[in-house]
Amino acid sequence: MNGTTTVTLAGVGGQGILLGAAVLAETAAGAGLEVKASEVKGMAQRGGSVLSTVRFGEHVWSPVGSHADVVIATELLEGIRGLDLLGARGTMVCASTTRITPGSVLRREEDYPDDLAGAAALRGVRLVAVDAEGIALQAGTLRAVNVALLGAASTVLPFSEAEWRRGLETAVPARILEVNLRAFELGRAAVASQEVES
Amino acid sequence: MERQLFFSGNEAIAHGAVRAGARFACGYPGTPSTEIIEATAGLEGIHSEWCVNEKVALETAVGASLAGVRTIVTMKHVGLNVAADPFMTLSLTGVNAGLVIISADDPGMHSSQNEQDNRNYAKFAKIPMLEPSDSQEAYDFVAEAFALSEEFDTPVMLRTTTRISHGRGQVLPRVPVEVEPRDYARDISKYVMVPQYARQRNRLVLERLEKLRRRAEESPLNVLEAGSSDFGIIASGVAYAYAREAFPKAWFLKLGMSHPLPYAKVARLYDHVSRVAVVEELDPFFEEQVRALGLPVIGKAAIPADGELDQEKVFRALEPYVQRKPPRRRRPVMPPAPKLATPPQPAPGLPVRPPVLCPGCSHRSVYSALRKRRLAPMGDIGCYTLGALPPLLALDSCLCMGASIGMMAGFNKALGRKAAVGVIGDSTFFHSGVTPLIDAFYNEVEGMVVILDNRTTAMTGHQGHPGTGLRPDRAQGPSVDIQKLCEGIGVRCVTVDATDHKALDTAIKEEAKAAGLGVIIALAPCVLVTREQAGEVVVDEERCNLCGLCVDLGCPAIAPGEDAIAVLETCTGCGLCVSVCKRGALSLSCAEDPS
Repeated sequence: MNGTTTVTLAGVGGQGILLGAAVLAETAAGAGLEVKASEVKGMAQRGGSVLSTVRFGEHVWSPVGSHADVVIATELLEGIRGLDLLGARGTMVCASTTRITPGSVLRREEDYPDDLAGAAALRGVRLVAVDAEGIALQAGTLRAVNVALLGAASTVLPFSEAEWRRGLETAVPARILEVNLRAFELGRAAVASQEVES
Repeated sequence: MERQLFFSGNEAIAHGAVRAGARFACGYPGTPSTEIIEATAGLEGIHSEWCVNEKVALETAVGASLAGVRTIVTMKHVGLNVAADPFMTLSLTGVNAGLVIISADDPGMHSSQNEQDNRNYAKFAKIPMLEPSDSQEAYDFVAEAFALSEEFDTPVMLRTTTRISHGRGQVLPRVPVEVEPRDYARDISKYVMVPQYARQRNRLVLERLEKLRRRAEESPLNVLEAGSSDFGIIASGVAYAYAREAFPKAWFLKLGMSHPLPYAKVARLYDHVSRVAVVEELDPFFEEQVRALGLPVIGKAAIPADGELDQEKVFRALEPYVQRKPPRRRRPVMPPAPKLATPPQPAPGLPVRPPVLCPGCSHRSVYSALRKRRLAPMGDIGCYTLGALPPLLALDSCLCMGASIGMMAGFNKALGRKAAVGVIGDSTFFHSGVTPLIDAFYNEVEGMVVILDNRTTAMTGHQGHPGTGLRPDRAQGPSVDIQKLCEGIGVRCVTVDATDHKALDTAIKEEAKAAGLGVIIALAPCVLVTREQAGEVVVDEERCNLCGLCVDLGCPAIAPGEDAIAVLETCTGCGLCVSVCKRGALSLSCAEDPS
């Protein structure tokens, strides 16, 4: 809206949503844009849904937006849920192989949905489905799902590789920087190759 | 009928409460409210007690109301500041039996450190307020307040000022109101104010306020009194009495139910007179609302905004206006009922993902032990509040920080037995659980308190507190020993290793049977901090019949599979599921050699 891009990261407490948002915010700020961000994290450590929003542009007024242009979901169910956050012509970047089963599904009170592609098509949403778990493992740690996914999302966001690198270097603690740089590169390459195939 | 009595407003409230069927009265002394509890203490059929402070008094009163008896709680104006935390959220939960909060204000500061106008609190909390203007009304309005409280499921404020509380007048006693104690029905979505339930209740509060406004329009407590001049006065409480004497020919809108304001009745006064004044002590509470209707009014520009009024002050203030040319007649603009936001709807077909107690969390074992004992657990605020959600459904209430113990005390006092238990975390105990424990000891409460001591302020991200001595920079400072603190108060107290499910169960069982008041400290450091792997749970698939006992613990590491329970890798090996399994299908293999 008004030249502002809104990106929402959606996932489950403990998945590194807040770090992912910090990387994106630093990247946008490093690219010379104004950035505002907001997170709802009160229940983050207790397995609840977590949302974090980053907005950037020439001039950003509010820390949250009614709709997102891009949703980056680190878990399949949260990705399907996150489709409702997207505005028209939005893009969903989802770790489609990551499933964290909620209690009601464990107790067989509800079913875990899995038709992300169908739900995205129904809404006319552009879907980038990524095996972020596989990529993170290839990079060296399952904990890098968040950054692997950022790598995938970087193909639809307006920043150069150098800007992303600066963002990662600023936001990610030094001791885990290397593995995250790898995860980012692999995530970015995975989507690039998908696009070549299609 | 009995002879007329000559009562102070406070005595009238006490007698009016008993007449209205109140069975429980508590408060903290403070001028000009003190004599109410002193008076109820001398009356038959009502239990009276002084509480340690106004917050605990209100929480105790809420407990008694939930237990099913009509209850009054008394305090001076600044006392409501202390009780503001339970007060604000009580508006959301509502009540069971009627609950009347008596706030005695002190304009002129005869005996107070400020002269705040507590009518603002009724507006702030969106609850109804009654203001008597003499002792007879003080007596009568208590029954009116209880009726409103029960009809609209809300606490009601009865607001007096020094001259009403300490003024005296004749009171004609009325026929006692017959009320039966109400049954208590557990209602988690009404009494446990976690965000998802509080959002629903908050909408009800906003709708209730509009219903109450319609009631205020009809209420005989709000009277349009005809006069013989072209001058009208809006007033409540003692200000009404002063104005009545100062301007005997004026028209009056006398407000007995003074919040929410009956807009149409205000407008009707303007049909009869061309000049209207609001006579009120302290803040322009009515004046601002009348102005918002677009009606011209004489208010604080003439009437002092500080100190007490009297007849002469009122007369001198308004007399010049009576002489002046009346303002141009204007039509009132009735404010529309406020719009409510569309509540967020969960996406259909998508499982919700509420926050849950972590695998291995020791709170779960406390709840598992408590639910065998048929005690109503009055909860508090922290991670452990999550135990109120499915499938544990382990808490009956959550009102505000530190409310568990006072509510337990009031509930048990009103029922005369150990019916409820207070459940409170270590950090919350230091925040505001110590005073109600002192109160429960002093008031000889039959009850149990379980302190869930996980050695941190877990919910907000593991901050330090006086029990751990940890500072924000993680430096170690001095710490307070909870057991010694409880024993210092004089309360029986045991500390139990909360990871020892059997010992915890035994301690809770014995404390539930014991007379008097006891504290159990269920001690186990937060698993998110220790990351302790106590062992591995092994499932005997032959023995497991999927009965669901372990699933009902709500542990995110347990999932029913096709033929047997599956234990997920997030399991910490706490062994609670092993202890509840009746078929011996689960066993714990220790991760390491204990030596």
